[in-house]
Amino acid sequence: MVNHVTIIMVEDDEGHARLIEKNIRRAGVLNDIVAFRDGTTALEHLFGPDGSGAVNAGRALLVLLDLNLPDMTGVDILKRIKENEHLRRSPVVVLTTTDDKMEIQRCYDLGANVYVTKPVNYENFANAIRQLGLFFSVIQVPEAK
Amino acid sequence: MITRLPAQGSWITRLGQPALLACGFAILIAISGVAIWLVNQARKDASAVAHTLEVENTVAAIQIYVRRAESAQRGFLLTRNAGYLDLFDASAASLGPALDKLRGLVADNAAQVATVDSLTPLVRRKMGEMERTVSLGRQSQWDAALQVVATDVGEELMRSITQIAEKMKSEEDRLLKQRTASASISAQWLLIVSILGVVAIITLAGISVHLSQRNSRALRQAHAALSVINEDLEKRVEERTADLQEANQEIQTFAYIVSHDLRSPLVNIMGFTRELEELRTDLFHRLETLRLRAGDTDGSQDEALAADFQEAFGFIKASIVKMDRLIKAILDLSRQGRAELQPVPVDMRALMDSITATVAHQLIEREGRIEVGPLPTIVSDRMALEQIFTNLIDNAVKYLRTDVPGRIQISAAETAAYVMFSVADNGRGIDTRDKSRVFELFRRSGPQDRPGDGIGLAHVRTLVRRLGGSVMLDSELGKGTTFKVTLPKTLKLAHQEDE
Repeated sequence: MVNHVTIIMVEDDEGHARLIEKNIRRAGVLNDIVAFRDGTTALEHLFGPDGSGAVNAGRALLVLLDLNLPDMTGVDILKRIKENEHLRRSPVVVLTTTDDKMEIQRCYDLGANVYVTKPVNYENFANAIRQLGLFFSVIQVPEAK
Repeated sequence: MITRLPAQGSWITRLGQPALLACGFAILIAISGVAIWLVNQARKDASAVAHTLEVENTVAAIQIYVRRAESAQRGFLLTRNAGYLDLFDASAASLGPALDKLRGLVADNAAQVATVDSLTPLVRRKMGEMERTVSLGRQSQWDAALQVVATDVGEELMRSITQIAEKMKSEEDRLLKQRTASASISAQWLLIVSILGVVAIITLAGISVHLSQRNSRALRQAHAALSVINEDLEKRVEERTADLQEANQEIQTFAYIVSHDLRSPLVNIMGFTRELEELRTDLFHRLETLRLRAGDTDGSQDEALAADFQEAFGFIKASIVKMDRLIKAILDLSRQGRAELQPVPVDMRALMDSITATVAHQLIEREGRIEVGPLPTIVSDRMALEQIFTNLIDNAVKYLRTDVPGRIQISAAETAAYVMFSVADNGRGIDTRDKSRVFELFRRSGPQDRPGDGIGLAHVRTLVRRLGGSVMLDSELGKGTTFKVTLPKTLKLAHQEDE
């Protein structure tokens, strides 16, 4: 487990956020989780007050991103992260209720690392989250420059 | 905004043209008739004038004959030359026929006949007197002859003859004047009638030109108004179509958002139900520990509680799964309504064959068979067509009766722009009151003894509509059902071009 990776969770639904966190913890992932309820505050945190992303330069981040946010769509956040020189190497996990093929394709095209459809089948969901935890422990998240 | 067509002309305009034509013909016929009559009249007048002149000529000829005979008689008596007698004889011979001719000519005029009748004896007496002197001269009794001449009887007769002849001439002159006047009146009338006719025809032609101009002006106006209405109509159709497409789009978007947003709380419900299950395990574990610590070894009450929990969780989870399935169905439906269509030529026969191949196994189980008739190739979206007919054929197979061998017939009927595909089965049929209901989402007909959520036909209807067609069903309960899908031969993507 690479402990210095910080998980940034952008999820407007409190229940989903709680379930995600619970299951990540249950899977044995103990990394810090910073949760945001909307896109604006998440972007502020990610890109800093100057919007350049320099504030997170050198930090290992993993972004859990919901696509349906009250103030913007997660696709916009994904696009900005992947276009930013400091953040573009941070893995982004898209979490959404949409299983629309076009949307999935679009997210991968924009540089999403994993696309997870929020299943109502809780076991599958927990499995996905656990695998995500394993994924965290295995991959070498490159340090953002 | 409806532009009213201008009234299609007054009755004058409507009846004007034929009435004018009839009028014109009537006037032409009248003019011709009058002209013929007048020309005939003029011809009669002319012949009457000629007749009068001939009468005068004949009267003059009679006078000349008498005078010539007299001068021949005088010459003979004076010169005693018998050569004069030839002229005398010839003149005397001509007189008889001349008198007869005159009588014939004036036969239609009683007064003139009477005059001729009084003239004839005078001429005879004059001729008798002259012949007597001539015959005396021939016998050389010159004195006796001269004596006869000297009696002045001949001269007296000659005066009377001249008098009567003049009377006849003046009578004929009077007639001539009368007839000439009549002829000139006829000619005048002919002229007047002709001028009137020409004026009438010119007037009619003028009215006709005016009317036809008015007609064509009205026609042009009507035409313009019509094209305005047409444009308006086209615009309105376009507007309505756009409205409908927008409304349809809105419904699809609504369905998508609703179903999408409904899934979100469902994730929580399922997730926390699962958490509750975990909690329950912990709770019962703790309960057992506490119970045992209190010295109570009877776990039957705990087991009853656990069973109640289990039952409740069972219902909750089953409902969640069902709700998820239904939401997914709505989502799929809205997605199909939004999916981009790609018109390509599709061999319907091959398409049906590939679908029937997928149900072959079920058919063998049910002792059924599918007959696919000759089907055309249409230009449409292959995926949509596959889904439509897969649903219909699946349904037909699913609801075959168990008491008779199943038989499904697929056929097509073509019109100019459309093809109507029929999928007919001899299955259990659909109740008349469910005819439109079966196309609604989550609605099913008949005994609910087959698996299904009531989604297939809703999809069929959505897809058929997207392909610009319509779907209907004929059915008799217990006899079978025929689905009729009417599709355009060539799918047009007008609404997509607008985007």
